[in-house]
Amino acid sequence: MNEEQDQVLVRRTLRGDRKAFEMIVRKYQQPLLNYVGRMVGEREVALDFTQDVFIRAYTSLRSFDPRFKFSTWLFRIASNLIIDHWRKKKLPTFSLSEPLGQDGDRLTLDVPDDEPAVGRKFELAELRQRIEAALERLPGPLRELFVWRHVNELSYEEMAEIKGLPLGTIKNRVFQAKEMVRRILQEMS
Amino acid sequence: MNCFKVNDIYDYLEGILSPERREEIEGHLALCPGCRQAVEDRKLIAGAASSLAPLAVPDAFTDRVMARIAPVKVKNQAWLIVLASASSLLALTAMFMIASRSSALGILLSAGRSFWEYFKSAAVLTAKVSTLLTLAGKTLRPLLEAAYKGLSVLTSFIHPGLQVLILVLAIGLVVSLFFGMRKKFSLGD
Repeated sequence: MNEEQDQVLVRRTLRGDRKAFEMIVRKYQQPLLNYVGRMVGEREVALDFTQDVFIRAYTSLRSFDPRFKFSTWLFRIASNLIIDHWRKKKLPTFSLSEPLGQDGDRLTLDVPDDEPAVGRKFELAELRQRIEAALERLPGPLRELFVWRHVNELSYEEMAEIKGLPLGTIKNRVFQAKEMVRRILQEMS
Repeated sequence: MNCFKVNDIYDYLEGILSPERREEIEGHLALCPGCRQAVEDRKLIAGAASSLAPLAVPDAFTDRVMARIAPVKVKNQAWLIVLASASSLLALTAMFMIASRSSALGILLSAGRSFWEYFKSAAVLTAKVSTLLTLAGKTLRPLLEAAYKGLSVLTSFIHPGLQVLILVLAIGLVVSLFFGMRKKFSLGD
């Protein structure tokens, strides 16, 4: 996501150029909706949230530090909004820096000898559908990382910057998210 | 080597292993069908997850966002405006001096003469306006006196309580008219 272009658009917006912010909206509306939609489930709620992300970004644009990437700043706003939403709805959430417990620790085991193949059981379209369904069952903080990695194609460094966590923690959690999706797919088949 | 751990598979698929470790894993994969299947399965799931369908963004989404945001307040750099005005004034004076081939003292003298001419014209105008106002006062005085007498006669017939009520109603009417006009013409906040 061309960072230099983003910085130019941010500067132009701060000088009062609304067209520049419109270009930012057009550039990020699709990646943000892809992420937010999978985090909140309902389409209309997701659209409202995505709008709120842009409005928050616009009103606090002066606080954006140009030493960081604009895209990660935008995703951080979205992530904070979603965490607030989960808390308000009293949905279960946890800090990524805390251990996952027995359930998560089991994911670091060796590859079992009799491990069934899940991916080959389905056609690509059906596999995609099942992954979407599996994501709904994945704990929110892990779902967030899975979506960022696979759908938004964010790097581990970008994810660490957004969450303000060490790179090693993020890598470990992404691995756990992937393995948990695989396990849910296995249970579904 | 022994069969590797699940996180090794993900690191291998992500391409983030050292060349030595990668070579070691590829050597093992050539010999171990179980690990080969484990890698293939996770590769298929990762491929499907990375090609999940984007969520449709409504056509009017950008317009909806832009309609909700107010223009950014551009910082008012007052010192810059003062500096620009002073520079322009200096440049104009310099240009005038060059064009008229006159000295700074000459320009000051001619500016003083012009100012004196303006002052004289303004004094004559003020005298004329004050004469007009005196004449208007003389003409309007009998009319105002008659109106005052009429009002005195009228108030002697009306009960004091009713007079207070009329006064309150009149003030209310004036106030509501003022606010109505203010709103209509948007005379500031």
